[in-house]
Amino acid sequence: MISAQNGSLEPMEEAGERLDPVMVSDATPPMARALQLSFTGSGSEYFRIWAVNLLLTIVTLGLYRPWAKVRRLRYFYGNTVLDDHAFDFHGDPLKMLRGLLLVGAMLVVYSFARRGSPMASLVALLALAALAPALMRAAFQFRLGNTSWRGLRFRFHGDLAGAYRALIPAFIPGAAFLAIGLGVTDPLHPPPWFFKASGGVTLITLVLAPLIWWGLKRYQHGHMGLGPWRTTLKLGPMPVYALGLKLIGVMLLSAFLFGVLMAVLGAKLGMALHGLSEGPRSAAATLAITFAVGALVWLLILLVPMPFAISRAQNMIWDHTECAEVSFESRLGFWPLFGLTVQNWLLMAVTLGLYWPFAAVAMYRLKVESVTPQLRGDLDHLRDPRQAAVTDASGDFAGDLFGIDIGL
Amino acid sequence: MNEHALPGELAANFFDGEHASAHPVRLHIRDGRLHIEGEAIQRTVALAEVQWPERTRHGMRMLHLADGSSIQCSDSAAWDQWSATEGGRSDGWVVRTQQRWGLVLASLSALLAILASAYVWGVPWLASAIVATLPASVDQTVGEATLASIDARALVAPSHLPPAQRRGIREAFDAAVARLPAGTAPRYRLEFRSGKIGPNAFALPGGAIVLTDELVECVKGERAVIVGVLGHELGHLQHRHGMRMLVQAGILTAASGALWGDFSSLMALAPVWLGQAAYSRDAEREADAESVQLMLANGISPDAMVGFFRAVEAMHAGQGQAQAGQLGIALASHPANDERIAYFQRAARQH
Repeated sequence: MISAQNGSLEPMEEAGERLDPVMVSDATPPMARALQLSFTGSGSEYFRIWAVNLLLTIVTLGLYRPWAKVRRLRYFYGNTVLDDHAFDFHGDPLKMLRGLLLVGAMLVVYSFARRGSPMASLVALLALAALAPALMRAAFQFRLGNTSWRGLRFRFHGDLAGAYRALIPAFIPGAAFLAIGLGVTDPLHPPPWFFKASGGVTLITLVLAPLIWWGLKRYQHGHMGLGPWRTTLKLGPMPVYALGLKLIGVMLLSAFLFGVLMAVLGAKLGMALHGLSEGPRSAAATLAITFAVGALVWLLILLVPMPFAISRAQNMIWDHTECAEVSFESRLGFWPLFGLTVQNWLLMAVTLGLYWPFAAVAMYRLKVESVTPQLRGDLDHLRDPRQAAVTDASGDFAGDLFGIDIGL
Repeated sequence: MNEHALPGELAANFFDGEHASAHPVRLHIRDGRLHIEGEAIQRTVALAEVQWPERTRHGMRMLHLADGSSIQCSDSAAWDQWSATEGGRSDGWVVRTQQRWGLVLASLSALLAILASAYVWGVPWLASAIVATLPASVDQTVGEATLASIDARALVAPSHLPPAQRRGIREAFDAAVARLPAGTAPRYRLEFRSGKIGPNAFALPGGAIVLTDELVECVKGERAVIVGVLGHELGHLQHRHGMRMLVQAGILTAASGALWGDFSSLMALAPVWLGQAAYSRDAEREADAESVQLMLANGISPDAMVGFFRAVEAMHAGQGQAQAGQLGIALASHPANDERIAYFQRAARQH
């Protein structure tokens, strides 16, 4: 069993060293006990699950996907061990199949609407915006409500109004662009105000994007529950903006460094491509090379900023997710994540993608083992009366009926 | 952990689903029922109603009961042994497949075979289906863009043929096409060029058929050959081979375009693809059939095309492919193989 060395400032306490509650006065909070989170799965074992899943999914033209997903989640959750007890996933694949078909049908209708006039596109987008928050809430409820630890199910407590408040802002830029497009009669010769308006919408979108992301995370992390315990996200929008600015800085630096690299290599690459394009070459070869070079450039530009964003975001969000009984510490470092990302990409390129299951396991392990829950509450007296679940049935209904599960 | 259990029993932890606390219990199986015994716990459940854990190398074994309670055993080796000897449920075929490397590798090979056959048969079928949904305006725009690109790349230059000769060829071709059954001929438009691709002809989506001066001079204006060549190109238009090839090469681009109604990326890539790729053998065969049909409707022997193909062969043997090969979809860019020549000869003998 591999466990990460977390650089936690709290001392790791043995289970038996808990302070006697009688001795502690009401003014001081009980000592927090750090719980160990570890992942016991292996890449080779997941590779076998993944290979059979892939075959069955393709043979059934995708209908097997819910069963494949349940098997994958049960493997990952079942091997995630917190305080010597594993998690488990209980999702019903039949319900998930219903959800898959429902979402597929919605996408088909949406695409047909988009083929029509710009007005039809706008109406379709508004219809999607009206439904998406409810679906998102159902997905959170399904995923969390079907996760258990020590026999207790987790629960998502977010309400429908909160879902709309969190997700509707994300649709505004798209709707604004479509609305602007309505005013343009000739797509090939847009009027001058079009560019100013588009530029304005783009700028406002960039400025508001961190706020929208913060709102979504606040909704997701602010309503998770186990028994009577409920989390909140004690985070304001300013740290998110600070992170956004740092991210832009990292992207510019990365683009500059790799721009220099490409300029040096680009000359040689360009000559090689020119030699290839003469003569009766098949379109596929030229196109493949063009795409490969483009993808490579993109990868290099993203190679540094992506691990930076992921590690800082995970740390920021989980550090501020807390309730009276539990708090979290996330110590996902940039360099370990960067190194693992590079290693994964290289090995996937060399093995033509077959390394993917191993990469997924390594990545999951790194992310999970960098989080340490700090427990202040009393596990032995944690109770989850099932009556509470029954009264909240309306909320669970959509998630349970459709088994809507999106990979968040 | 198993020291306190009797033989045939397994020690595990019981969770009632309402409390987080673990209760040590002992399990044993008798008469198809699972017996759970511990401090203040005495339960028995039918084996069929229990969700039995799947065997994995790592991880714990977790068993779920219908009322939401569960049993966890962290010693998976002990569990597997107990389950095997006491008659617990065995693994399904999917799990058994996953556990044996041989079967896994067989699955991957099967997957590869399926993907390969999908590529060979599935993609062309899908391309035809997508092309069927594309409106004619897409063909038009693609064709115009490609012709502009070919003109811009200086592969062809304006024609030097006297207008009278051009008019004569146009009228002859129109008359020939008029003899086909009504409604079968697609819309077309003859364009004359001269240039680097030598004696050649090609068709672009949307109806443009381009004929080079060199071809007219090479066959000394012989009407039979010109009708045959143009019939072949007309066949490519009839079956929308250009669009099919385009969609096949960019099936993802075309599918997303058909889905979202946005063909701009397809348009952008079309000149590149059409300028470089070549038709499949099936496409050439279909076009040959149309050529034969047009010639027969006009009382021309298909042998005329045989002579043309031989001349093309001789030219390629002499000059090498460098020139004509630059436009893969053109008729004389690849010498016709013996099978195609034999097809025309057979058609000539039968009529």
